[in-house]
Amino acid sequence: MNESENDFEPLRRLLAIKRHEIPPLGYFNNFPGQVVARLRAGDTGAPEGITAPSWLLKFFRAFEAKPAYVSSFACSLCLLLLFGIVYAERPDATEKPSLFTAFVAPSAALVDAKSADYASAQTTGLMINTNPVLSLQPVAALFNQQNPLAQVQAMNVNLQSLGN
Amino acid sequence: MAEPAARQDPESPAPVDEEALVRGARRGDLGAYDELVRRYQERIYATIYHMTSNHEDANDLAQESFIKAFQALKTFKGGSSFYTWLYRIAVNKTINFLKQRKNRTHMSLNDMDFNAEHDPDLVALISDKTPRREAGLTELQEKLNAAMLKLSEPHRLVVVLHDVQGLSHDEIARIMECNIGTVRSRLFYARQQLQGYLSDYLRAS
Repeated sequence: MNESENDFEPLRRLLAIKRHEIPPLGYFNNFPGQVVARLRAGDTGAPEGITAPSWLLKFFRAFEAKPAYVSSFACSLCLLLLFGIVYAERPDATEKPSLFTAFVAPSAALVDAKSADYASAQTTGLMINTNPVLSLQPVAALFNQQNPLAQVQAMNVNLQSLGN
Repeated sequence: MAEPAARQDPESPAPVDEEALVRGARRGDLGAYDELVRRYQERIYATIYHMTSNHEDANDLAQESFIKAFQALKTFKGGSSFYTWLYRIAVNKTINFLKQRKNRTHMSLNDMDFNAEHDPDLVALISDKTPRREAGLTELQEKLNAAMLKLSEPHRLVVVLHDVQGLSHDEIARIMECNIGTVRSRLFYARQQLQGYLSDYLRAS
């Protein structure tokens, strides 16, 4: 070991330079006061302004340590958003039963039944709509589908004009 | 309960006093803690500074280390000396900081003290009788710090604690919580690396 210590003797002398590197004059006079002042102010030693839970802090620290995490996280978010947009615009996406369509299905069946009445009414020329529920149904028709409710409303207008 | 009278031993600088200060600080006595900070600030600051080669970072990290130590005093069991325990906090904080700052190193070096120009070893290094004659002290300082920053954190730490600060292998092993063999092997490897980086300045005269 002594031999290896001797081998490194020039290096050790060079490293002695670092012992002469000192902070600005008076630095150590103020240092304890700064530490105690921060302790009195209730400083936790953590970066200022962050009061998030520890798991969230660890999450953000992982981002600080590895910028690759940030880009991969951002990419996955973008992909998710893109997938959402593409999926929403697929024509067959609207045909699949979903929570929304299941929820509105009974009223749609009601509209179908009523539209059959309207069809027969077309032959007789008489149609009176007293059902307030129908007027509350959504009237927008997406993807060029024929909306039976719109037909009903159109017929109502025609009958009213006939009555006048 | 009265504190036991402090016996003044010329060899060791009042260890009983340190215990009393730690007890006082643990009770929340900031005056006692102020004294502890005064006692260890230079060594803690120097260790962090030599690890980061940046005065501002060293200042922040040293302050945060002392604050963290004060808050963690309740967990200090006294199994090791307060000094070793404090060192461990500072070292862990610094290594975590350096891992986060990876590849974003920026040196902010302190000036050399007046004694540097009269240090016989340094005079020899910049003397015109050696191959390093063209290198001024400031250039040597920059090259040395740049070479140190090329080492991994554990290797740099061993060099700083042993060759710069003069701690024994045993003390370093306690601070780094590893065995002495690991300290010796890291020191050997780190010195070899540094010799390679600084070969221009280490050629035999």
